[in-house]
Amino acid sequence: MLIQTINIGKVYKNGIIALSDINLSVDYGEFVFLTGASGAGKSTLIRLLFREEMPTAGQILIGGRSVLRLSTPEIVRLRRNTGVVFQDFRLMEKGTVFDNVSFALKAVERSWSEIKRRVPAVLERVGLAGREQDNVMHLSGGEQQRVAVARAIINNPLILFADEPTGDLDPRTSEELIKLFLDINSEGTTIIMATHDKIIVDKLNKRVLALSNGRLISDAVGGWNL
Amino acid sequence: MRNNGWMTFAAVLTITIALFLASLFWLLLKNIDANAVEVEDNVRVVAYLDYSVASGQRDEIRQQLEWIDGVAAVEFVSKEEGILDLQKRYHAEDLVETLGGVNPLPDLFSITARSTDDVAGIAAAAAEVKGVAEVKYGADTVEKLFALTDTLRKLGLAIMGLLAVAGVTLIAMATRLTIQTRKKEIMIMKWVGATNSFIRWPFFLEGLLLGLAGAAIALTLVLTLYSGAADYISASLPFVKVLTLAEIWRPAASFTLASGLTLGAVGSSIPLTRFLDV
Repeated sequence: MLIQTINIGKVYKNGIIALSDINLSVDYGEFVFLTGASGAGKSTLIRLLFREEMPTAGQILIGGRSVLRLSTPEIVRLRRNTGVVFQDFRLMEKGTVFDNVSFALKAVERSWSEIKRRVPAVLERVGLAGREQDNVMHLSGGEQQRVAVARAIINNPLILFADEPTGDLDPRTSEELIKLFLDINSEGTTIIMATHDKIIVDKLNKRVLALSNGRLISDAVGGWNL
Repeated sequence: MRNNGWMTFAAVLTITIALFLASLFWLLLKNIDANAVEVEDNVRVVAYLDYSVASGQRDEIRQQLEWIDGVAAVEFVSKEEGILDLQKRYHAEDLVETLGGVNPLPDLFSITARSTDDVAGIAAAAAEVKGVAEVKYGADTVEKLFALTDTLRKLGLAIMGLLAVAGVTLIAMATRLTIQTRKKEIMIMKWVGATNSFIRWPFFLEGLLLGLAGAAIALTLVLTLYSGAADYISASLPFVKVLTLAEIWRPAASFTLASGLTLGAVGSSIPLTRFLDV
């Protein structure tokens, strides 16, 4: 089992209970949807799995190891094996496509020759071949999200977290982006995607974890389960 | 640094002022120390004769002084020779007229000790010789100089300390503002697995550069000022030892630049520890 959570909960300082008693497990290579209305706890769960925040209760195991007791170098190693894509893309607005994607390699101190080789390859994979020198603010929403995906997968992560990646996109662009995620998943990357896009969830026959008011209310394959 | 122009300017300005004052104090203390060492190394004891001592008594006094343990040589300096020496040293040919036409100096014996260890003993013994009115030697002056140095050092440290705190605070604020401005980049670096040191080093470098910039400006200003002041003091007060620019610029540069780098490093480390952690 790749990811396991045991009774995890998250209560913020203002007293809001974001998550409560979440027990789930995700295997290597799975494609899992996290569904629920706004405020259900989807983004909070992803932030806990990504170790951006700590749960206030429970345990999280990734690859059999507790992520709550990781040293700083181990957290760094975990992050290098995961990728994250956000609804609002979170690109560096003043940079080009190359600047944004290569940043992920520069931050992990890859050589310039490796960066020059891998960036074009990953851009081709996400359908942005030859667009290295375009300023990201001149791209469409779908293209910007593809840049974000490229940045997330360029280090060949084991797990890809996507927090509402199609939230700001039109249906056609959303569908194209989902195809990209399926393609990445077919090569072995585990994908956990938070979404409230019912159409996409219904169309794909994937495992769906449904959250409501911070609780896991359903864990089943196929269809919107709320 | 570009993004926080005013904050950066304020940080560099404060560091410049702090290090300018610190370097000035440091130069002053170095010069005082040099004078103290020179006086301390002086093995001369001066025995001033009582005004009532007649010329016939001088030989007896000289003999008694020569018999004191540790004395290498005794030389008589008449009051006429003394006033001539002063006129020459201070370029004041009309010194006697200025003093009302009367030479106020007494006759004296200049006693050379074999070593500085003997100086205090010789001074004490010479003071006991009949006809000797007063004895002076370097240690007295050295003690006063050291007391002055100590007071100046404490005052200097207090002022430098306050300015250093101000400089460090401003560098910390400038670094924090830079962190805030680059928050998105920092978050992306954390998500993709950058190490703490990779995230922190540009900000640390920025702090060092701020400290170094302030130090370089301060050093230029203080050495320019010192060069002019040293020439003036040497000409006006020839009996005071003044370290030349050639003698002092390297240690002054080391002190100022090292201080600037230290302030920059400390200033930038504060926000890095608080706000930047994977």
